[in-house]
Amino acid sequence: MHEPQHHGRRRLPPFAVLAVVLLFAGAALVTGALHSQRHPPQPPASAATPLTTMSSPTVPAGTPPRHSPAVIGPVLARAVPVHLDIPEIEVNTDLLQLGLNPDHSVQVPPLSRHSEAGWYRYSPTPGQLGPSVILGHVDSAEYGPAVFFRLGALRPGHTLSITRADHTAAVFRIDRVVSYPKDHFPTLEVYGNTNTAALRLITCGGKFDLSTRNYESNIVAYASLISSHPA
Amino acid sequence: MKKPLLLLAPAAAIGLTLLGVPGTASAADSNSYQAQLNALNHASGSGSVMITLSGSQATVTEHFSGLAATFGGKPYPHVQHIHIGAMGQCPTNSADQNGDGVISTTEGAPSYGAIGTTLSTSGDTSPAAGTTLTVAPSGASTDYHRTITLDSKTLASLKAGTAVVVVHGLDPATLSKTAQGEKSDLVPSLPLAATSPALCGTLVASQMSSIPGGSAATGGGSTAGLQHEGWIELGAGLMLAGAAAGGLGLRRRSIAGN
Repeated sequence: MHEPQHHGRRRLPPFAVLAVVLLFAGAALVTGALHSQRHPPQPPASAATPLTTMSSPTVPAGTPPRHSPAVIGPVLARAVPVHLDIPEIEVNTDLLQLGLNPDHSVQVPPLSRHSEAGWYRYSPTPGQLGPSVILGHVDSAEYGPAVFFRLGALRPGHTLSITRADHTAAVFRIDRVVSYPKDHFPTLEVYGNTNTAALRLITCGGKFDLSTRNYESNIVAYASLISSHPA
Repeated sequence: MKKPLLLLAPAAAIGLTLLGVPGTASAADSNSYQAQLNALNHASGSGSVMITLSGSQATVTEHFSGLAATFGGKPYPHVQHIHIGAMGQCPTNSADQNGDGVISTTEGAPSYGAIGTTLSTSGDTSPAAGTTLTVAPSGASTDYHRTITLDSKTLASLKAGTAVVVVHGLDPATLSKTAQGEKSDLVPSLPLAATSPALCGTLVASQMSSIPGGSAATGGGSTAGLQHEGWIELGAGLMLAGAAAGGLGLRRRSIAGN
């Protein structure tokens, strides 16, 4: 009785086969899961360097209103933006219109499977003089990477195009991409007056605070209008 | 600022904006003003001020840093005001009429005018509170956030572009010997340094009809931490089971060998 069993186990040890199969399957799953981790790109410090010193967008301080600094670069008439294309990071989105929350923070687009960016409607329209603001999510808990997932991968010199309701396409060039801790968000630098037709693309970045369900930083891509053409 | 995302993006509000209903938010009838604060009188430091109006209600958000930190061993009180009714400018060095190297508050007045509103930390915001040190922000830096009522004179000046934010209080060590010995032109019991302007900036209308308050909640967090935790757990479970099966096999074999 003992002999055949002994021989059988030597030729085909079932527990060993099971062990190897399970170990390989488990390792494959863990490896696969780790390899498919997707984290949004963050801008390096070098991306914060202005493309040219000419494009410094902030209006000099203390300037009396009657001596506003000369406008630099092209400027367009008011027209609401409807579509945004950023080929470099495969953004191709219609634009919502966003307002303010009761606490005076800026509204963000709804979290949905079809993630869209939105234009802050109390800011200038893209192409007008001043800082036009467009916001998009980096991700959502339910649907994963969102429309501005790769915003942090933009670099100075990259271009983007915004189609406006007047059937013009406004072409902007990225000046710099900066990550700010949310508790040190430089409101005036991002939302303050400019002497160019400026654009600020905003999403979340940095570490995610699990207790507040919020990212600790905002990534802001600063851009300036360089040209326009019929859409 | 840090609130659950879903609270910050009420579906109803988004729905309204999607329908393009204009002017439903309270912001539509408010106005925003901004000032970049620059150093005067060789002070170090800088800052910014944002004011959003809703009628005569003004929500003031200010940040400054780099000013004198202590005064007599205590946090330095920096009285601050909206000055009104003059040229709407910050003074240049030519305003130093007595040549002591310091533009005193009085010497700066032809540029920025008299106190219209005191940006106090609590209580009275009238010019009467202008030199009340106990309600001044104190220390080298401050984050000031307060909603106050502006009087008609300050409102008129703001809209005319002649309202100027001035933060006072210099480090005496940076003053000339002469100036260090002088008394304040406003409060004779204080030294000149204590009340002289340190930061100044003209409030200009914002190019936005309403400046949002600070950061944006543009993340839901799915790509932040460890993803595919389910896979990893299942994988680890399988590996554990494999190890157990292997162990069981060895044990059986050793039993059988006995």
